[in-house]
Amino acid sequence: MKDFIEYLTDQFEAGKNDIARLEADGRKDDADFAKVRTNIYDVCRTVTKALADRPDAGPEAVKAQLERFNKEWNAALDQAREHGDIRNTVIGEIKLEALKDVIAHFPEEEK
Amino acid sequence: MTQENALKIFKSLSDMSRLRIVQSLTQGDMYTELLAERLELTPSTVSFHMKKLEEAGLVVSRKEQYYTVYSLNRELLETSLFDVASSETEQIDEQQKREESYRQKVINSFFKYGKLQSIPVQRKKKLICYEVIAENFIPGKVYSEKQLDEIISRIHEDYCTIRRDMIGEGILQRNGNKYVRLK
Repeated sequence: MKDFIEYLTDQFEAGKNDIARLEADGRKDDADFAKVRTNIYDVCRTVTKALADRPDAGPEAVKAQLERFNKEWNAALDQAREHGDIRNTVIGEIKLEALKDVIAHFPEEEK
Repeated sequence: MTQENALKIFKSLSDMSRLRIVQSLTQGDMYTELLAERLELTPSTVSFHMKKLEEAGLVVSRKEQYYTVYSLNRELLETSLFDVASSETEQIDEQQKREESYRQKVINSFFKYGKLQSIPVQRKKKLICYEVIAENFIPGKVYSEKQLDEIISRIHEDYCTIRRDMIGEGILQRNGNKYVRLK
């Protein structure tokens, strides 16, 4: 799980650079969306750190939590689309896109 | 034009992505996907920016088959900056404006897509939420308890508490098992 945590940290740091670049370009709303994306890597890193090494949890628990996020955020996105809520639709898509990337990088032996 | 409208225009244009969208539209009408490709943004991000530009009156949209096509509101864009800057102040009572803003904040905090997330503890906030629920009832129309509960339960599961509170606050009036909205 060490490599996975490192990957999440790299993405988090890259996200912070994106935010700074977008803010410097005068693209505040796009920077806010980049913050949403960056925050997902931070949340997943926190979850992984908290669960991965616990004897009563472990990598399986991390995977299960990521799948719970996937289910909940998909439901929230469906609701936003259904109500024509453009802001939350964009946010929902960004969250799920980042989560998809996180799940794709989850260590193969733990899947 | 009012100062409020002028502020919307300035706010919507004070973002580089939206300025680039306006710049692209000066070359002709465009649909979301094309703008997304040109500006390297996702289609939903473009839709988000377009909504802000539309709210400011800077662009207008029309449906063409499966696409939403956007064009510039040239009349507004040809208004001189001097005219926009010298727009009139709206004569809205400041107190009324503050109250409306507070009311909207409470509604945004407690309602999501028409559903009450939790019953506020504070009476002032609770009243605002009950007034919103009351909008589902036609004033003067008589409702049976079953009809009333059905409508309230679509908004929040604890329809009994809400029904009782709305009667207590004088929003609904009860006559036997018939109910009428008072305010």
